[in-house]
Amino acid sequence: MVSKICTGNYSAAYGSMRSRVRTVAAYPITPQTFIVEHISEFVNNGEMDCEYIEVESEHSAMSACVSASASGVRTFTATSSQGLALMHEILPIASGMRLPVVMAVVNRAIASPINIWVEHNDIMPERDSGWMQVFCDNNQEVLDMVLQAYRIAEDRRVSLPMTVCLDAFILSHTVEPVDLIEQADADRFVPRYKPTGPILDPDDVNAVGVFTPPDYVMECRWQTDKAMRSAVEVIGEVNAAFAKQFGRDHGGLIDPYMVDDADAVLITMGTASSTAHEVVDDMRAEGKKVGLVKLRFWRPYPMTEMRAIAEKVKAVGVFDRAVSFGVGGPSFIEFKSAVFGIDLPVLNFIGGLGGRDVSLADIRYMYDKLLDAAKTGEVRRDVTWVGTRGVSQ
Amino acid sequence: MAAQALASSAHSEGGYATAFPFFGAERRGAPVLAFTRIDEKRVYRKTQVYEPDYVVVLDESLLDTVNVVEGLKEGGMVLVNSSKQPAEVDVGIDVKMATVDATSVALEVLKQPATNSSILGALSKATGLVSIESIEKGILQVFGDRLGPKIGEKNAKAARVAYDRTLVGESHGKRELKSAEKWLPDVKELPIGVAGVPMSTSAGAVGPGSFVENKTGTWKVFRPEYDTEKCTMCNFCWFYCPEGCIYRKEDHMDFDMDYCKGCGICANECPADAIRMVR
Amino acid sequence: MKLKDLPDEELFTRGHTACAGCGAAIAVRNLMKVLGPNTMVVNPACCLLIFGATYPYLAWKVPFHHVAFENTAACATGMSRAMKVLGKDETLIMGIAGDGGTADIGIQALSGAAERNENMLYVMYDNEAYMNTGIQRSGSTPFGAWTTTTPVGKVKAGKSNFKKDMPLIMMAHNVPYVATASVGHIQDFIRKFEKAKSMKGFRYIQVFTPCPTGWRHDTAKTVEIAKLAVDTGMWTLYESENGKVTISKKPKMTPVAEYLKPQGRFRHMSEEDVKSLQDWVMKKWEADEKYAQCRQ
Ligand SMILES: Cc1ncc(C[n+]2csc(CCOP(=O)(O)OP(=O)(O)O)c2C)c(N)n1
Ligand code: SF4
Ligand code: SF4
Ligand SMILES: [Mg+2]
Repeated sequence: MVSKICTGNYSAAYGSMRSRVRTVAAYPITPQTFIVEHISEFVNNGEMDCEYIEVESEHSAMSACVSASASGVRTFTATSSQGLALMHEILPIASGMRLPVVMAVVNRAIASPINIWVEHNDIMPERDSGWMQVFCDNNQEVLDMVLQAYRIAEDRRVSLPMTVCLDAFILSHTVEPVDLIEQADADRFVPRYKPTGPILDPDDVNAVGVFTPPDYVMECRWQTDKAMRSAVEVIGEVNAAFAKQFGRDHGGLIDPYMVDDADAVLITMGTASSTAHEVVDDMRAEGKKVGLVKLRFWRPYPMTEMRAIAEKVKAVGVFDRAVSFGVGGPSFIEFKSAVFGIDLPVLNFIGGLGGRDVSLADIRYMYDKLLDAAKTGEVRRDVTWVGTRGVSQ
Repeated sequence: MAAQALASSAHSEGGYATAFPFFGAERRGAPVLAFTRIDEKRVYRKTQVYEPDYVVVLDESLLDTVNVVEGLKEGGMVLVNSSKQPAEVDVGIDVKMATVDATSVALEVLKQPATNSSILGALSKATGLVSIESIEKGILQVFGDRLGPKIGEKNAKAARVAYDRTLVGESHGKRELKSAEKWLPDVKELPIGVAGVPMSTSAGAVGPGSFVENKTGTWKVFRPEYDTEKCTMCNFCWFYCPEGCIYRKEDHMDFDMDYCKGCGICANECPADAIRMVR
Repeated sequence: MKLKDLPDEELFTRGHTACAGCGAAIAVRNLMKVLGPNTMVVNPACCLLIFGATYPYLAWKVPFHHVAFENTAACATGMSRAMKVLGKDETLIMGIAGDGGTADIGIQALSGAAERNENMLYVMYDNEAYMNTGIQRSGSTPFGAWTTTTPVGKVKAGKSNFKKDMPLIMMAHNVPYVATASVGHIQDFIRKFEKAKSMKGFRYIQVFTPCPTGWRHDTAKTVEIAKLAVDTGMWTLYESENGKVTISKKPKMTPVAEYLKPQGRFRHMSEEDVKSLQDWVMKKWEADEKYAQCRQ
């Protein structure tokens, strides 16, 4: 085992190399840029046997990945924010064609105002794109999830594309110790690439992407829906296999911490989970029964798991680093729909937008409110903007 | 456009009408399906029509591949673009039948085989649903708006001529009409990602190269008449035919009328005058 | 290859649903005869997508791929690199798109792929408007032409800008091969596709393909009009092979009015407009000829 200090961007790039990706098409954007630079270096140093395509835009990056994948090779790309928005049109095409493309998304605010720091609003419009999406909270998880992503995406029961999400700067540019998995171990975990469906092949003629009249679309959509539902099981299996081989269990769809006897739990995505972890430890030491649910998979969404948690605890808070204007946080909305019919206070906290730091104090503030709500069982206000001048105390 | 013009005519008589095409992606000349609903009160339903009162068939050759009377209401009527007498058109059941040679009317008046205005005139005569005056108004509006007032007027004239020539009667069905079978795979059978995979199905071949199942020969109004004697085997027609339905043989060309759309390019380009277009 | 040597096998089969007399259909079935079965095709949203590939039917007998509208060259890039990875570089990757998908919305991806000298053949079939969506103007629509977005109105009629010179733009990319072709010139058409097939790297051919539906001409006149375009100088047949530019056929300089006459899309044009177009043709031909002289 080689443990090294490295950034989230390096972890993502390294993961793609160890997964023996054969085609990468990517375009630089802060804070993802280092991923494409690292991959270019791996390729130019002969460490990675891969066609690296220096496309002229993210739209072309995703297009080239889709077509390379449709031609039967393993592909990878990475982007952020505006770049992801530019890819938007092609994302549902990847899933509609059932292509196991893997992409690292370094989550950054979406303009306007233009801003290069962390926020999850860039990926929220992709919720219904048919991509699986996992949010990481440390650099080891980024690397491990790139490997896992290929196993999940390329499972025949799934055959869907997947993003591995990491918070801008907080992971992308922050160094942490990471076990840099060696090739032989990676090879044992990620099998050689075998296409999951019909591909473009001069020796076996098929068509991928045909103008489709109403007679066939419902069945196709249902298949994709089924694949996304099947992914729930596959994600669990792959996580277990990974834990068995590497001794690291990142959890499946969710990673609960101190939830079983908790009065109040907070649901977080990305690096806020890591910070909240510490707050939970502190508050537990003070005798306060708080817990944490790290929401790892945004798609497929942990419907059953969330209901089980709602049955267990007295109050739930959902922290969103994104907002659906006029309504609340997307994760909050999703949770409420998952637990319909279960009567409990659910508070939404919106914070950390555009790179605003989410501090220990911010999280403690959320837990305090939650413990209040757990005591009274009464919901005073659904959506609270945390750390926002003039609206929150 | 015919469906819209009909709706517009009915509306101008104070009724409520909706019209819509079913499939908007075919090229010009391909069979299309369009619906019109006419009522005295507002029509709320936004679904396809399954039980029509009237069925209008613009292309007689479709009767061989489509069961046009499927769902036709008791006492309903069929109007067919045909040079035949109503009693000579067999749609498989006993039915009120009207015929008009809309193609000839269109060729005479418009100098093109565009039948949708003529057929509206015929519909007015056959059904009395809308007066011919309203049809003319509707055509002037819908065709005129899109293609200019002159073309609008010509089309209105075509409608009037067709109105005068429409024959109304009855026909007795003798043959069994069947719609061509469609391949409708369920969620287990459909290849993932709606991939185009070569397969032979109960409805014929699908996948790469399977468009040969689609006999486009029904689109044509004119067909090429070929004179082997004059042909020099220059191969020009073989190259220029957009359909690839001219086959090279040892000493002559074979014209496959199952696919010929009657464009006339072969005749226009033949340097030996070996091909001419006839109806 | 001579016309008589073209294979009988249709890799783009009959039964497709193009309008009667479609110039694009003539181009596609014949270029596939030249390119042969070891070809993979990517095709964006356009008439050809619909008339060649409507589920579950396809006219294509080779691997066929559609992704979106503006990314043909990027998709062809992905396919081409994948074939390299798989050791199947002998397979020809062809991107084939309309003028809209090429000269307008697709020009960014096209320029990128050309600049990277990706190993592909990119074909633009030029029917001079967005036909699939119902005849809207494109950058490739000629001056004066009626389209549904340049309608003949009371104060304005027809397109007020001149046709974008895509072949020249592509030649400026210094790629191995750029050529213009026409469905009206059989031998020239065959030779250019053969040449493109024999080369590696980025190759671009723009084929002139009249569209009876959008140009409002008699379906029988498709080829005749394509020939007139060359004779009048509206469409220059030339090619650039590794930077050397050769004129394939000198125009007869037939008056453009002859070309305009059979097409409904030009019917409304004033004498003055026709003259503007004639002047443009003269200048264009002069420029093309000089350009060929400079790039010997
Ligand atoms: C991003 C996007 N914008 C618009 C469209 C709609 N659209 C489909 S085909 C087309 C025009 C195609 O024109 P062209 O490329 O010239 O091909 P043609 O149909 O004329 O053969 C348009 C505008 C689309 N599919 N995607
Ligand atoms: S008329 Fe001639 S060129 Fe046109 S489709 Fe028929 S055979 Fe082919
Ligand atoms: S609209 Fe024009 S290009 Fe499109 S299929 Fe018809 S003739 Fe061909
Ligand atoms: Mg076009």
